[in-house]
Amino acid sequence: MELDVLAKGIMMGFGMLGPAIGIGLIGSSFMNAVGRNPEAAKYFGQVFVIIAIVELMALLVFASLFII
Amino acid sequence: MFSLLQLFAATEESGPAIHITPGELFTVGGFSITNSMFYGGICSILIVILLIVAARKMTIKPKRGFIQFVEIGTEFIIGTIQNSMGSRKKAIQYAPFFASAFFFVMLSNWLGLLPGVGEAITYNEQPVLRPFTADLNGTLAASTVMMILVQYFAIRENGFIGYLRHFFAGSLKNPATYLLGVFEVFSELTRIGSLALRLFLNVAIGEIIIAIFTYLGSFAAPITALPFIVLELFVGALQAYIFTMLTIMYLSAAIKHGHDAEETIQAANEVTAQTA
Repeated sequence: MELDVLAKGIMMGFGMLGPAIGIGLIGSSFMNAVGRNPEAAKYFGQVFVIIAIVELMALLVFASLFII
Repeated sequence: MFSLLQLFAATEESGPAIHITPGELFTVGGFSITNSMFYGGICSILIVILLIVAARKMTIKPKRGFIQFVEIGTEFIIGTIQNSMGSRKKAIQYAPFFASAFFFVMLSNWLGLLPGVGEAITYNEQPVLRPFTADLNGTLAASTVMMILVQYFAIRENGFIGYLRHFFAGSLKNPATYLLGVFEVFSELTRIGSLALRLFLNVAIGEIIIAIFTYLGSFAAPITALPFIVLELFVGALQAYIFTMLTIMYLSAAIKHGHDAEETIQAANEVTAQTA
C-alpha cells in the first residue's frame, strides 16, 4: 500500500515536470515576442490554444492516478 | 505525518466519490442510458430553447440580459473565424456550426457545476446527473461530429480531387508523397482523439478536484471548494473556446490550398518595395 502511494507521487512529480517546463517556455517566448513587437499582444488567445495542447500531457498523468 | 499519508491513500473505504466512467441509470431495449446521456439531453433541449428565444428577440438595437450574452459569444466566434480564414463572408457562412458547438460545450461545462449535479441525487446507487462533457463517450461523439463536418466542408470547398491533393501534396511520381499522405490522414484521425481527450480530462479532473476538496474540507467544504468552482467556471469557458478554436484551425488548414506560397512571396515583395 505504501509503495503504491510512492509510485503515484513519483509519477505525478516527473510527469508534471515536462508540461510545466513547456508552459513556462510558451509564456516566456510570448513575453519576448511582445517585448520585441508590442503588436504581437493580440495573439494572446493563440497562446491559450498552444497551452491547451501541452496541458493534455499533464492531464493524462493526472488521470493515470486513478487507473494504477 | 504517516496518518496524513493514510488519509490520502484510503480512497477505497471512505474517500471522496470519484467516477471516471458514467453510471448506468436504466436500459431501454438493450441500450443502457447513462447519467451523462440523460443530462446531455436535458442540456441540449435547454440550449435549443434558449437560443431560439434569443434569435426571436434579437434586434438591431442591442438589448440587455441573456440576449447580449449570446450576441457577444456569436460575434466572438465570427471574429475568430474571420481572423483565421481572412474573409467576413466565409466567417458568417460557417459561424452557425461553430457557434452552436461553442455554446453547447460551454453550457454543458457550466451546468455541471450546479448544485445537485453529482452525488446529491442518486438513483440505483448512481448519481442521476453528470455533465455531458465529463464522459469520454460524449466528447468523442462531439469531436467526431466536428471533424466529419470539417471534412465535408473541405470537400465542398475544394472538390474531392482537391481534398485528396491536400493530403497527397507534391509530385505523384514521388513515392515519398504517398508515405507522407498516409501520415497526414493518420494525423487527421488522431485529432479526433486529442480533441476528445482534452475536453474530457479537463472537465472530469475539475469534477474530481472539487470532490477531493469538498471531502478534505469536511464541515468547511463551502470555503475549500469555492475557489476551485470559480476556477472551473473559467476552465469551462476556456475549454469551449479551445475546442471551437482548434476545429476552426483544422478547417482553415483543410480549406487553404496551393497559393499560400505565392501570396507570401507577393506580400514579401510588397514589403521590400515599400522599404526600398
